[in-house]
Amino acid sequence: MTGKKPTSPHKRARATKIPPGAYPVFSRKTASHLLHALRDPEITATAARVIASKVEDMRVAVLGYVDRIEEAARAADVVTIFEQAHEIRGLAGNAGLTATGRIANGLCKYLDVIERAGHQPDQELVALHLEAIARAAHAEDEATRLGDTVANELTVLVDKKLTEINDSARRKPGRDAPARGA
Amino acid sequence: MSAATFDHLKALIVEDNVHMRTLLRSLLTALGIKHVYEASNGADAFVVLRDKSPDLILTDLSMKPVDGIVFTREVRLSHDNPNPYVPIIMITGHTERHKVEAARDAGVTEFLAKPITAQGLFLRIAEIVERPRPFVRCDEYFGPDRRRRKDETFTGPWRRHEDFESDVELK
Repeated sequence: MTGKKPTSPHKRARATKIPPGAYPVFSRKTASHLLHALRDPEITATAARVIASKVEDMRVAVLGYVDRIEEAARAADVVTIFEQAHEIRGLAGNAGLTATGRIANGLCKYLDVIERAGHQPDQELVALHLEAIARAAHAEDEATRLGDTVANELTVLVDKKLTEINDSARRKPGRDAPARGA
Repeated sequence: MSAATFDHLKALIVEDNVHMRTLLRSLLTALGIKHVYEASNGADAFVVLRDKSPDLILTDLSMKPVDGIVFTREVRLSHDNPNPYVPIIMITGHTERHKVEAARDAGVTEFLAKPITAQGLFLRIAEIVERPRPFVRCDEYFGPDRRRRKDETFTGPWRRHEDFESDVELK
C-alpha cells in the first residue's frame, strides 16, 4: 500500500453553484406584491372561475380531438392516434372529463413504450381504448358511471402489456445485467 | 378585491394548444400580469424570448417542430439569450418518467401536471418567487439545482413508484 487515496473510476464532475442573488431574481418589492396576490383568496377564486368558464369550450375541443382520433384509427395512423390522445389527455381534465383523460393517458403510455421498444401495437387494445374514449367523452356523467370503471379496467390491461414488454426486453441478450440499485 | 397589477412583469406562454394557451393567459391576467406573450412552439418562443426577455416562462412539453425540452435547454445554454436564469414552469400531461426526467435535466424549474388548477399554478409561481433555487453549472448541466430542498431526516414514504406506477424501465 502506498497510502495514496484510491481514485474513483467515476470521474466526479466539477460543479459551480450560483446562489440566488448572484443571478437576477425578483426584487424584494415585486416578490412581496406577487406573493400577496398569489395568496389572495379572491384572486384565486377569480382564477378558479376563469377555469370553470372554459369547461364547455374545452369539452367541445376534446370532442373535436375524439373525431380526429377516430379518423386516424380508420387510417391505422398510429402516430396521429398518439398525438390526438395526447391532446385529449391534456385537455380532458379541464373539460370535466376525467375518465376520458385517464383512458387517453393509458393509451399514450402504452403507445410510447411500444414505440421505444420497436414493437407493433396490439390492435385490439388500441381499439378498446378508442371506443372507451369516444363513449366516455360523449357520456354526460362519464366520471361517475361508465368512465371510471372502464378506465380502471384498461389500466390493468395496459399494465399487463407493459410488464410483458418490459420482461421480454430484460430477457434479451445484453440486457441481463441487474437493474440499477439492485 | 385586490387590484394588484404588475405592469413591469412579463410572462411567456409556450403551448401549441390554443385552448390551453387561452386558459393560461386568463390565469396570468387574473393574477395581474399585464404583459403576457404567446408562442406555439419552442422555435417561435425563442424569438419572443430574445425580444421581450420575460420574467417567467410557462411551457408545454410536446410541441412541433421544437418541443419544451429542447426549448428549455436552449434557454439555459444559448449565448443568445438575455436571461438564462429565467424560471421555467413546465406544464404537461406527460406522466412518462423518461420524459419528465429529460425535462428536469434540461433545466426546468418547476413542473405542473394537467389538469390546470389556479391553486396549482399559483403555488408553483409562489415557490419560484419565495424560494429561488441555486443554479448549478457543470460539464453536463446548467440549470436549477436538481437536488433541491432535501430533508435529511425524511425516511419515507417514497412516492416515486406510486407516481409512475405503470411506467416501465425500458430505455
